[in-house]
Amino acid sequence: MAEWNAYYQNEDEDVDGEEGDESGVNYKSTGRDSLVFLVDASKEMFIKGEDGEPSPFDMTMQCVHSVYTTKIISSDKDLVALVFYGTEQSKNPRNSFKHVYVYHDLDSPGARRVQDVDGLRGENGAQVADETMGCGKTNLGEALWCCSNLYSDFKLRLSHKRLMIFTCRDMPHRGDSEHDRQARTKASDLKETGVVIDLMHLMKPGGFDVSLFFCDVVSPPEDEAELGLQMEPCGKLEDLQKRVRAKEIKKRSMARLNLCLGEGMNVAVGVYITARQARKPNAIKLYRDNNEPVLTKTRLYHTQTGSLLLPSDTKRAQVYASKQIVMEKDEVDVIKKFSNPGLDLIGFKPMERLKLHHHLRSAVFIYPEEEMVTGSACVFTALLRRCSERNVFALCKYTRIRNSPPRFLALVPQREEVDEGQAQIAAPGFHGIFLPYADDIRTLDAPQLPTASDAQVEKMKEIVHKLRFKYKSDSFENPVLQQHYRNLEALALDLMAPEHIEDHTMPKVKMMDQRLGSLAQEFKDLVYPADYNPEGKTAPKRKPAEEAGGAGKKPKVEMSEDELRGHLQKGTLGKLTVPVLKDACKQFGVKVTGTKKQELIDALKAQLTK
Amino acid sequence: MARSAKTAFVLCLDVGFSMSSSAPGQEPPFQQAKKVIQKFVQRQVFAENKDELGLVLFGSDNTKNDLAKDGQYQNISVHRRLMIPDFELLEGIQNDVHPGSQQADWLDALVVCMDLLQNETLGKKYERLNIVLLTDLNSQSSPDQLDIIMGSLKRAGITLQFILPFPVDGGGSSPPHGGKGLSREQQQGLEMTKQVMMSLDEEDGLDEVYTFSDAIEKLSVFKRIEKRPMAWPCTLTIGSSLAIKIVGYKAVCEERPRKSWSVVDAQTHQKDDVKRDVVYCLNDDEETEVQKDDTIQGYRYGSDIVPFSKVDQDQMKYKTDGKSFAVLGFTKQSTINRHQFMGTQVLKVFAPKDDEHAGVALSGLIRALDEMKMVAVVRYVYARNGNPQVGAAFPCIKSKYECLVYVQLPFMEDLRQYTFPSLENNKKYTPSEDQLSAVDSLIDSMMLEDGEKNDLFKVNHIPNPQYQRLFQCLHYRAVNPSAPLPPMDPWLTAALQRPLAVATRCHSPLETLKKKFPLKEVVKKKELKTSKELFGNSTDEPDAKKAKVDEEEDFNLADITEGNITQVGSVDPARDFRTLIRQKRLPFGEVCQQLTGRIEQLLGNKNMIYYMKCIPCIQTFREQSVQVGNADHYNSYIQSLKKSIPVRGLQEFWDMLVQDTLTLINKEEVEGSTFSIHDAKQFLTADLKKEMVEAPVVDDTGDVDDLLDMM
Repeated sequence: MAEWNAYYQNEDEDVDGEEGDESGVNYKSTGRDSLVFLVDASKEMFIKGEDGEPSPFDMTMQCVHSVYTTKIISSDKDLVALVFYGTEQSKNPRNSFKHVYVYHDLDSPGARRVQDVDGLRGENGAQVADETMGCGKTNLGEALWCCSNLYSDFKLRLSHKRLMIFTCRDMPHRGDSEHDRQARTKASDLKETGVVIDLMHLMKPGGFDVSLFFCDVVSPPEDEAELGLQMEPCGKLEDLQKRVRAKEIKKRSMARLNLCLGEGMNVAVGVYITARQARKPNAIKLYRDNNEPVLTKTRLYHTQTGSLLLPSDTKRAQVYASKQIVMEKDEVDVIKKFSNPGLDLIGFKPMERLKLHHHLRSAVFIYPEEEMVTGSACVFTALLRRCSERNVFALCKYTRIRNSPPRFLALVPQREEVDEGQAQIAAPGFHGIFLPYADDIRTLDAPQLPTASDAQVEKMKEIVHKLRFKYKSDSFENPVLQQHYRNLEALALDLMAPEHIEDHTMPKVKMMDQRLGSLAQEFKDLVYPADYNPEGKTAPKRKPAEEAGGAGKKPKVEMSEDELRGHLQKGTLGKLTVPVLKDACKQFGVKVTGTKKQELIDALKAQLTK
Repeated sequence: MARSAKTAFVLCLDVGFSMSSSAPGQEPPFQQAKKVIQKFVQRQVFAENKDELGLVLFGSDNTKNDLAKDGQYQNISVHRRLMIPDFELLEGIQNDVHPGSQQADWLDALVVCMDLLQNETLGKKYERLNIVLLTDLNSQSSPDQLDIIMGSLKRAGITLQFILPFPVDGGGSSPPHGGKGLSREQQQGLEMTKQVMMSLDEEDGLDEVYTFSDAIEKLSVFKRIEKRPMAWPCTLTIGSSLAIKIVGYKAVCEERPRKSWSVVDAQTHQKDDVKRDVVYCLNDDEETEVQKDDTIQGYRYGSDIVPFSKVDQDQMKYKTDGKSFAVLGFTKQSTINRHQFMGTQVLKVFAPKDDEHAGVALSGLIRALDEMKMVAVVRYVYARNGNPQVGAAFPCIKSKYECLVYVQLPFMEDLRQYTFPSLENNKKYTPSEDQLSAVDSLIDSMMLEDGEKNDLFKVNHIPNPQYQRLFQCLHYRAVNPSAPLPPMDPWLTAALQRPLAVATRCHSPLETLKKKFPLKEVVKKKELKTSKELFGNSTDEPDAKKAKVDEEEDFNLADITEGNITQVGSVDPARDFRTLIRQKRLPFGEVCQQLTGRIEQLLGNKNMIYYMKCIPCIQTFREQSVQVGNADHYNSYIQSLKKSIPVRGLQEFWDMLVQDTLTLINKEEVEGSTFSIHDAKQFLTADLKKEMVEAPVVDDTGDVDDLLDMM
């Protein structure tokens, strides 16, 4: 079963070195992303919605909480701040602003902060908020000023700066034009320094009128066509979360390349990752005495002379048919080079040529980069439209960086789709599906078995019908990751036990049984003879111990002492295999610590020559 | 696991004199046949399986075989007995296999091969015994033994392959191809070949007869290493009571090379001479080393670092109760997005091959799903220590079999929900009808199909070019250890390009497209470097990745304190210098002056520590000067510095400069420089003392100002 196991080890190690560094590189070069939540804490925010909807404040805190926790998992270097305005109490770095309460200043979220925000949720949260901050006068200008200080006080370079205002009041200063003007000025100052201001406006009786005030505060949309301002306020937590999530991470391309349609026709595109397996981060080594991370340095040195080896002092080698083949490191790299980075169009194919099983790794997303080659967006749009209308995909050769060997991508068109609230549910662009080479496809011997009769199929259809559900790609959380982070959270906060996670990957057996009723039995009666036990042994069931350790797996090759001594005398112990040697050790009660062949041989020798 | 079954091959090569004759301009059959053999052996060497291979030459000048006596079986020589092929054999073929001047009966040669096979495989287990005969059939052969030979071939279970210079026709009576008539012997030989092959396999016997060119083409592709599909037996469950026994197999998965590169010492080429050593050190100024035993394991939780021992982790981590393929529910196929497939593999799920009942039950599910256009969403766990996945099992019905195709789906944490600006609703980007029709004709001309709707570019038929290239280079290097690597095989380059037919077809639509869509490259000042890398075709640019990293380091260092750098300070002069140059607030000359001032100040201390600090300053000075393209300041400084060395007793420092080859900037580096490469080299090696005589004696104290004045 080595092969399957190998796969699992790989998964943990992040097989794809190539893909592994994709997000990292861009990220480091540009600084850190930051996000400030500026939340209205006026009385209106605490009024519960109709039919038991949570209050706008509660909804906001839920959102902030989920952003904090997802940041920890997906981008733990990002900075987040939480600032309230319209409070009675004031708390800010120099306490120069009244009615502005900096709850968390810019920092990457940690366990304590998550707990803090958690404390502001629900009934209790409202009370906590009332006690610590209270509701007071509103001066948005001051609040924005305070936020701009948060940015400027921060010592490291910030790349993307975003500020989200959560409020349910469209006239925060009740028409006080002086305050309004001040806020507008501050907002434009902020925008000038590169801060993007978004409005997350919440439901308010009588409707939220953006044009009254906020239209001048928020940043203009990314381009003329984007509606930018979500005209409809959010009434539901889910909508709000969706809206926040869409803006919370700065999208970054992992590569900007030329899509070459033919000689001299280069369209600039960005390559994005829209889905990528989130993995448990690697453990870090800490110094025992102070729990501080230690640096890990890897050095190469010469075994004989003990001197350190520079990369130029080494070469690379592989052995085939007992012959060593040596190359320079540069040669090894350059072997992988086929062409310059880019996407080269090979041609088009009808969509049905893209087979379901043509899948190797997560797809990439391709979108034009008008800033690099003007006119790109127009060609791209035309191509996207016609490919989609004609139901064809474009086949491209994809070279990500200089020394990466080519892969072929099927560029599948996706046209933009928006929901009723004008929120984008499908972005315009091509999905790049990685296609397998001949080596990647395995030949299988399909077993020849009888097929089901119509009656059997009909019965199964009933079962399928009973167990239908609406699949959404974001409805399953990864229980392994969640458990890992709950554990860390518990340890960080000295909780007695980690918070319980709900494992959505487990089948809801009870409910399924209930829905199926007698159908399951009826199907079984149709397909299985009475004496057939589908849960019985097919593959000989292994004992758990075997599965785990595999100790008893190998057939024991008993070797007599004489034989062994014979080997010892002839010096042919080395010809025996490791398992045989191990068994022999066991047989003679030799304790061995190592598993290396030489160690085993040495131990045996010592025993037999006693 | 079952021991992998091996095959024994005997290659039987005709080296007779007719093999080396050919029409002018054509490669003689001998050379072609030799190539086929080389490619074949090469492939076997890299496949690293247990297959054994022997080589028999006939028509050779010498005779060397076990059957040769009394003038029988003459001119047949066993070049290599049955062994696992190695580079020695490859070299032997290259150097020692030459065309002979005799002719020998190919049937005799076949008998020798059979004899070899039978003798040497005695008592060992082989899955297959095979003889490959490469000949032009141009020798007199006596068919009287044919029946006996065929009989013993069949008895011994030996299979036969012929590789000939000309094609054999299935029809039998049609004249041979190639315009060149076959000799009487060849015609007779061909008839016998057919007879032999048909008797071994009535229907497909002739499929095992190839032409040389066919064979070269096929063998150019390094065969992938066949992996035996691993069965994953499990039980598909629906609810608590409905279970179906299944077996899963990996159907698609990125194949990786089996071997990796090991690091060896550059001189000795010994792996054992290089040792990798990992040390841990504290993040303090001294980078104090600590023992591995003094470290514990921890994880980041946002800004927190949480110590979390392996033991605790194992105890607290999410656990599964063993393998699972449990249906969570069923959903419409249309709700599963093709582009959201996750993971790195596709599984095909069948019923166990000896279990009809499971087969029927699974078939019921597959057909129901297929008819309803639904999929099963399942929880998949490979084994007890595996992580659970959520995936989709699609129905797949083929004429020969039915199965479920399982692909992993994303978890919530895997998704990044980016919003992109609209394209079609943006007036700026809306294409005109004219433009759209230009795109249409491009698509028409570039459809990868021929008239019969055959696919012209099947990616899944292309061998992974990475491995083809790797093995090509490995083989070349193995045989020619000191030669530079060969260029890429032309067939490989061609296989990765737009098919010729399509390239020709799309030429004029592309021209139209170019006219209809004006494209203009935007070169931003800041991005000059990257854009050039992306768009330029210049080949001697630095590695893209490396350039990026370099740039990045520069930035980070500078960014932190960028705001308050107004002059070259004493803490990190090199960094300040870089920042100031980049900011361009001060004139270049002035910044240079500030730096040299600092360098002189440091050198005044005559201490190794200060010298060490100066080196990076001069390095940066040089680097930046080259980048800016102004060598004057640097060159004049370094010259005057050199002159002052003996006087100031800075010999030690000068040695350091020499060691780091911090010499003059030459013409190649900066156009304005007045020094050639040779000058620059000479500069460092030239004797200091000689120059000292020429140099005016400078007073130590006044030195700094003098130097600065020169700039």
